[in-house]
Amino acid sequence: MVALAGTVTKLCNASIRDYINPYSYLEWPESVDIEQWSTSPELISLYGMRVYESLSPAEQKRLSFYEAVNFFSLNIHGEKSLIEGLAQRLYRKGNDMVSPYIHHFLDEENKHMVYFGGFCARYAGKVYPDRKMVFDREYAPGEEDVLFFAKVLVFEEIVDVHNKRMAKDNRLVPVIRQINFMHHRDESRHLAFGRLLVKDLFERYSPTWSRETLDGVREYMKNYITATWKEYYNPAVYKDAGLANPFDIQEEALQAEVTRAHRKEISARCIQYLIDTGILTELPQL
Amino acid sequence: MKTETEIRQALRDWIVKTNKKIRPEDLDDDTPIIERRIITSLQLMDLILMLEKLSGMPIDAEILQPGAFRDINAICRNFFVTANA
Repeated sequence: MVALAGTVTKLCNASIRDYINPYSYLEWPESVDIEQWSTSPELISLYGMRVYESLSPAEQKRLSFYEAVNFFSLNIHGEKSLIEGLAQRLYRKGNDMVSPYIHHFLDEENKHMVYFGGFCARYAGKVYPDRKMVFDREYAPGEEDVLFFAKVLVFEEIVDVHNKRMAKDNRLVPVIRQINFMHHRDESRHLAFGRLLVKDLFERYSPTWSRETLDGVREYMKNYITATWKEYYNPAVYKDAGLANPFDIQEEALQAEVTRAHRKEISARCIQYLIDTGILTELPQL
Repeated sequence: MKTETEIRQALRDWIVKTNKKIRPEDLDDDTPIIERRIITSLQLMDLILMLEKLSGMPIDAEILQPGAFRDINAICRNFFVTANA
């Protein structure tokens, strides 16, 4: 709790120091050259698969553009849910200590959507639809908060690995590199906050849960990691990139050893954290 | 384009395979798959992908209500209105 209070103060100060206007910070080029890389090739969902190797360099770059649109679309959907959940928790009883930072969190997530949405609308003319749904149900005390912030953490940890790598990748179109850089800069703070908060919430509430609730949370988080990854393999992307049989490609990609190794590598830190905190007791199916 | 009968069978097969516990004889076209937690919210993502594949149309979950997936009858009504038996 003390560690969390100190971190909240530091993070608030950092957010105030790095405050930017998203409408003037980024210069949007007239168009994006799809003959250049829009996603680092090693981060393309089909990288290493035979179907990817069979594409010409121009086709690979075209695929990398739609992969970037999918990545930004996933971020928009993830951040919309995040904003909704954060707004509900702002000044809620028991959240006095974290509410000052929730203000910054909300502000920064909204700015990220300006970048992601701006890119998708300008250069692709669309955002790929969301396929996630959440059903209302009753929760044990603290269960909904643990699940909400743990899900946010998983989503942001995976995104951040992509952001960090693409922010430094000089092969990428500059505006894409910049968006990745700006996102990573804010996310590193959100992740520091999330890691402490999830641990704190889990330690506070899980001892009060029944065995059934605890097992349910663990099972849900394991499946959530698997589901989060599935969204990176979007048949609509493969179709837009001109690949035949997009649904078959998606199924094949989720089974391929090369892509499984990629998912394990990217998620390693996040999964280790969840195991260390006791939220996971076994590895998710990747 | 598959017939409605084929679509209903494909949905039954998918639900049984995904849930792993329900027996095919216990699943009717009006069995509430969400309410009885036969399908979880995370598994719904896979169902949406399967429906997109069967219908050839993209689905935007944001504009859907959970009732659209209540049972096999509701799924057929909401996503396969033009299919013929």
